[in-house]
Amino acid sequence: MNQAPPVETRGLTKRYGSVTAVENLNLTVRRGEVYGFLGPNGAGKTTTLRMLLGLVRPTAGTARVLGEEPGSAASLEGVGALVESPAFYPYLSGRDNLRMMARYAGVGRERVEEALRTVELSERAKDRFKKYSLGMKQRLGVAAALLKDPELLILDEPTNGLDPKGMADMRELIKRLGRGERTVLLSSHLLGEVEQVCDRVGVIRGGRLVAEGTVAELRERTGLLVRAEPLREAAEIARRISGVEEVEVTDGLLRLSTDPDRAAEINRKLVSAGLEVSELRPAERSLEEVFLELTGEEGTV
Amino acid sequence: MLASLSAELLKLRKRPATWVLALVWLAVVLVFGYLFFYLISSFPTGGLPEDQRAQQEALGEQLRRGLLPENLLENLFVNGTFGTGGAIALILGALAAGSEYGWGTLKTALTQRPGRLAFLLGKMLALAVFLLLFVLLGLAAGAAGSYAVALLEDAAVKWPPLEDFARAVGMGFLILAVWAYLGFALATLFRGTALAIGLGLAWSLAVESTLTLLPVENDAYETFRSFLLGENTASLGSYFGSAPQGFGVPEPLVEPERAAATLAAYTVVFVVVAALSFRGRDVT
Repeated sequence: MNQAPPVETRGLTKRYGSVTAVENLNLTVRRGEVYGFLGPNGAGKTTTLRMLLGLVRPTAGTARVLGEEPGSAASLEGVGALVESPAFYPYLSGRDNLRMMARYAGVGRERVEEALRTVELSERAKDRFKKYSLGMKQRLGVAAALLKDPELLILDEPTNGLDPKGMADMRELIKRLGRGERTVLLSSHLLGEVEQVCDRVGVIRGGRLVAEGTVAELRERTGLLVRAEPLREAAEIARRISGVEEVEVTDGLLRLSTDPDRAAEINRKLVSAGLEVSELRPAERSLEEVFLELTGEEGTV
Repeated sequence: MLASLSAELLKLRKRPATWVLALVWLAVVLVFGYLFFYLISSFPTGGLPEDQRAQQEALGEQLRRGLLPENLLENLFVNGTFGTGGAIALILGALAAGSEYGWGTLKTALTQRPGRLAFLLGKMLALAVFLLLFVLLGLAAGAAGSYAVALLEDAAVKWPPLEDFARAVGMGFLILAVWAYLGFALATLFRGTALAIGLGLAWSLAVESTLTLLPVENDAYETFRSFLLGENTASLGSYFGSAPQGFGVPEPLVEPERAAATLAAYTVVFVVVAALSFRGRDVT
C-alpha cells in the first residue's frame, strides 16, 4: 500500500475568470481517517474534490492523491468517488449501470454484486435508474465508488436530499466504510453529520481553509461551567479568585472565563467558602457556534 | 480502450434512442426510397391528354425500373437516401457524445479510471460499429423494398455484383460517419445534444442545400461548394450512376474518389476536434 498521505494539496487554486472558487488551499488527509470537509454551499468544496479527481484542472498549486497526479490512472486506481448528485444512465438498471462502470474500472462482475450488497441494493438492482428514489440513487452512487475497493473514498454531500432515515442509514454506511485502513474524505455542509462521522475536520470558506483539527479541537474549551448553591454568592466568590477573567450567570450555571485545567483549584476554593458544588466541567462551544464564527453563515444543523 | 469500447457498446445497445433512430432509418429507406417513388410512378394517367399520358407512362416506367433489385445501389446512393441517413447519423453521433453532459455521467465514468482518451476512443469506435449496422440495415431494407417492387412488377430479380455491395458498405459507412462524427464533435464542443443537433441539422438541411441551389456560376464558388459535406456525399453516391433528369438532383461536382477522400478527411478532422476538446476541458 502507498504510504504517501492519501490527499495532499499545496497552494491549490482554481479561478473561473474573475471568480476564485478555491484559493491557496493546503490540505492533508491522513491515512485511515474520516476527514470532514465542511463548508457552506458554494464554499469551494466540490471544486476542490473535482480537482482531486482530475475532472477540473487547477489554476495554480499542486495536489497529490495517493502520491500520484490527480486524475492519473495510478491515482484513480485507488480512489472511489461520488461527486455531487449521483449520475447514471437513466435507461439502464442499477446493475447494468454498475456493470458498465466496472468495465471502465477494469474490475470483474463479482465486484458489482459485492458493491450492491454493501449498499443493500441487490433486490432493486434490476430496476431502471430513473425509477430509483433519491436514497437509492445515492446508494448506487456509493456502490459505484466502491467498485474498485478503494483506499480512498471521496464522498461529496452523500446525504443531500435524503429523509432523516436515509441520512441516518447513509451515516452508518460511511462509518462502516471508514473502519479499518480505508480513508474517507467526506464533504458536507451538515454539522451534525461531520460531528458524528469524522475524525478530523477542515472548514472551508470562500475557497480558503479557515480551520482544521479534530471536532474536539475545533470546539475548544473556553472556560468552566459551575453549578453551585447559592448561585449569587458563588458568583461573588468566583470573581475574587485570581485568574478568573469574567463570570457570567446563564441557565442556573456560572460560566467562568479561565483555564479549564484549574477546575480542581476552583472547586476547592468554592467548597472551602461553604458552597455546595454539584457540577463543574469545561465549557465548550458547539460546532455550530464554531461554524458560524468561521464562516459567517447561518449553519445547517 | 477495449474496456471502454465494451462499455460504450452496452450503452448504445440498451439505449432506446438508438433503436428509435434505426426504425426511422428503416422507414426513410422504405418510404422515401421505394414506397413514395412506386406510388407516384403508378398514378393513373387516364385523365391526361394523349401526348402527356405517354410521357407520364414512360417516366413512371423509368422510375419503377430504377426501383428493381438490379438498381438497388443506384437508388439508395444517387437519389439521396443515404444522404438523408446522414441526418439520422448526425443525431446518433450527437446523442452518443452529448447525453453524457446532460446526465452528468462523465464524472461518474471518468473517475472509474478509463482515461479520457480511451473513454472517447471507445465511444467513437462503438459509434462506428453502430454506423456499420445502420449501413447494413439500410442496404437490407433497400433490398427488401426492391424485391417487393420486383414481385409487384413481376420482374426478374437480379442483384448488383457482390463487389458493388462491398463498395456500397464502405461508401455508406463513410457518408454516415462524416455526419455522425460532425454531430459527435459539435456535441463535445457545446457539451450537450440540443445545440449540436440543431446546428448540425440546420447546416445540413438549410445552409448547405441553399448554397447548392444558389444560381451562382463562378469558378471560385464552385470550388467552395466542392468542399461542402452535402456536395461530397452526393458526388460519392454518383459512383453508382447519375440521377434521372427532371428530379431536381444537382449534377455531382467532384469525382467519387475525390469525394471519398474529402469525406474521410472531414471525418478525421471531426474526430481530432472532439478529442482535443474533450482532453483539455474541465468536467464541471
